[in-house]
Amino acid sequence: MNPDHDTHKESIMNDFEGLEFGLDTFGDLPRDDSGEITTYGAAIRATLDEAILADDIGVDAFAVGEHHRPEFAISTPETVLAGIATATERIRLGSGVTVLSSDDPVRVFQRFATVDALSNGRAEVILGRGSFTESFPLFGYDLKDYELLFEEKIDLFSHLLDEKPVTWAGTTRAALHEADVFPKTDSGRLRTWVGVGGTPQSVLRTAQYGFRLMLAIIGGAPARFAPYVDLYRRATEQLGTPALPVGMHSPGFIAATDEEAKELFYPGYKVIRDRIGALRGWPPLQRREFEADVEGGSLYVGSVETVARKMAAAIRTLDVGRFDLIYTAGGAMRASDRMKTVELFGTKVVPMVRDLLAEAPTSAPRAGAAFGL
Amino acid sequence: MAGLEFGLNSFGDVATDGGRVLSDAETLRLMVEEAQLAESVGLDVFSVGEHYREGMVDSATPVLLAAAAQATSTIRLGTSVTVLSTQDPVRLYQQFATVDGLSGGRAQLVLGRASAIESFPLFGYDIADYEDIFEEKLDLFLRLMREDRVTWSGTYRSPLDAVRLHPRMPEGGIPAWIGIGGSPDSVVRAARHGLPLMMAIIGGRPERFAGHAELYLRALAQFGQPELPIAQHSLGFIADTDDEAKNVHWKRWQPVVKQVSEERGFYPPTAERYAEEVDTGALYVGSPETVARKIAGIVRANHLSRFDLKYDVLHLDRQARARSIRLFGEQVAPRVRELLADDADDWRLTGRTPAQIVRGGKAVHA
Repeated sequence: MNPDHDTHKESIMNDFEGLEFGLDTFGDLPRDDSGEITTYGAAIRATLDEAILADDIGVDAFAVGEHHRPEFAISTPETVLAGIATATERIRLGSGVTVLSSDDPVRVFQRFATVDALSNGRAEVILGRGSFTESFPLFGYDLKDYELLFEEKIDLFSHLLDEKPVTWAGTTRAALHEADVFPKTDSGRLRTWVGVGGTPQSVLRTAQYGFRLMLAIIGGAPARFAPYVDLYRRATEQLGTPALPVGMHSPGFIAATDEEAKELFYPGYKVIRDRIGALRGWPPLQRREFEADVEGGSLYVGSVETVARKMAAAIRTLDVGRFDLIYTAGGAMRASDRMKTVELFGTKVVPMVRDLLAEAPTSAPRAGAAFGL
Repeated sequence: MAGLEFGLNSFGDVATDGGRVLSDAETLRLMVEEAQLAESVGLDVFSVGEHYREGMVDSATPVLLAAAAQATSTIRLGTSVTVLSTQDPVRLYQQFATVDGLSGGRAQLVLGRASAIESFPLFGYDIADYEDIFEEKLDLFLRLMREDRVTWSGTYRSPLDAVRLHPRMPEGGIPAWIGIGGSPDSVVRAARHGLPLMMAIIGGRPERFAGHAELYLRALAQFGQPELPIAQHSLGFIADTDDEAKNVHWKRWQPVVKQVSEERGFYPPTAERYAEEVDTGALYVGSPETVARKIAGIVRANHLSRFDLKYDVLHLDRQARARSIRLFGEQVAPRVRELLADDADDWRLTGRTPAQIVRGGKAVHA
């Protein structure tokens, strides 16, 4: 176990100042204004422009995912984050998620420590097992080792986070003997989250290592994740690991009106949803299911006010300290519409959510307050 | 001599600032500033190495180059060298396709087997397989760059079945050079694969590599490959006068070479040996005029169309680094071009200029 001793106090203080809001993308290939799908290079540069705007308008965090599918331009998050690091001033830079199971923890540490240096300490690692499985055959791993790979690699990664020579042995990677890994970070520890899709075991493991918990809530009512938040809090209390904020990330899209947002978002979302659904055995998406998820589920699609009210409700219900919106889940949308959603999120939605939460304090304490610090 | 190119190489050596040793993170940020400086003084390429030891911060090369890409607009960005043997060619393709996308097509690579071996135990490879690993991974990497969908199997990596990687590099890939340290086999391999040759000459009389260059050109012809560029990478430092350059550089060079000599079992550095390296060897240390004359001479002797200077040494002061970069770009490079233009026919082995070999920053295979 390697709890966040060094940064614990500071992190809690930061979180007390308020909720954090982030924007997440997988680097989906957008369309240009003539309707053409852009090249991969142009998609990466579009992501960079969106991150620069998010930084300008005060969004707290920006995260890019790791995928190995043709729809997504980002397969190496840290390389993209380093480009963003140079072009931004204050926004936190994370992965969403780094598929640790099919990567080498030593390389992951080196890449993130480099992003952390280039961004003046703004890197955050979000580790996950990945909800997609393409990376397993691509990097020569067997899906039957899914659990073991993550278990061993998160253990090694937790040792590397101490930034001291590491001696380690396992079955999924070569052993290390007093291996000192560089570069070192200025803060001495990378901020680390674990992205969890809904297995209690993952929640417990996250608490055990003293990592932050990021819940991926991509469908259904957010309330059904409340037991996971509760489990994480109870586990950290019992294990004596730091009670760090819980985050959530969900897809959404913001436009001038609810109707416009839905019309711009739905076609591309259905294409992607059905393509992934075909691989996972889901039936094609029906418009009424989409409407239901916008209404009461986990799609934050609509006008500024609609999305803000929905976010405020979810934040209260789950008592989270961080909310990330996956703003490119609408697939091959126009880059200009994506940019607009980033702008509305940072300039309108986030301030409105803060106002809504301030004007109606509830009996449920806020995430930071729950720690009694 | 418009075809002659000048590159600046860093191994991520930790710098000092007025006697204070910079942190790893500060050094990384300094390197991005130095890439910007290299661009502003007209240098053609900025490259970073790949090392896994204390005092060197270049372990995640593509991440660093991505930051430099965003901070610059015209300079090409490469490696010096990428330790292909202990990398996964699939990740490497993805990372460099990303740097190429971020930089608008300015990414390139020098692939090598590495002279430092730290990466073998760190990533679980057996140094005994050194040669086979490199050959196999080079084959896979080139196929990933040159083909659309790749089906492949080998010994040191899991097989690929009709894999098409994302993001895509431009068709044909990005310029990839082969870095060699003196092995004729490596020279022939570069020619066989149709890749340009980067000769790392870090000690001894550099003219002894003329034979390697000639072997390369003959091998290219025999393999039916087009004529490709030859480059040299060497260590150096430029200051306003020869004495200043030597005094500042020796102080930082001596302890580093002493340690390496103990680890690898070669000669320990002495002042005499250092003076000899500067005068007739592979250290390009001195005033702009001294270094320019030395580079012009070796460009002729070794049939070069590109010269890369490794400018950093552990704990060299950041001001001295900046001054050296500035003098290299603003004074040495133009002076070398001038010296070569004075006697243009003398330095080319054949009638083709490097400008025909390299078009728009891409090697002809790209």
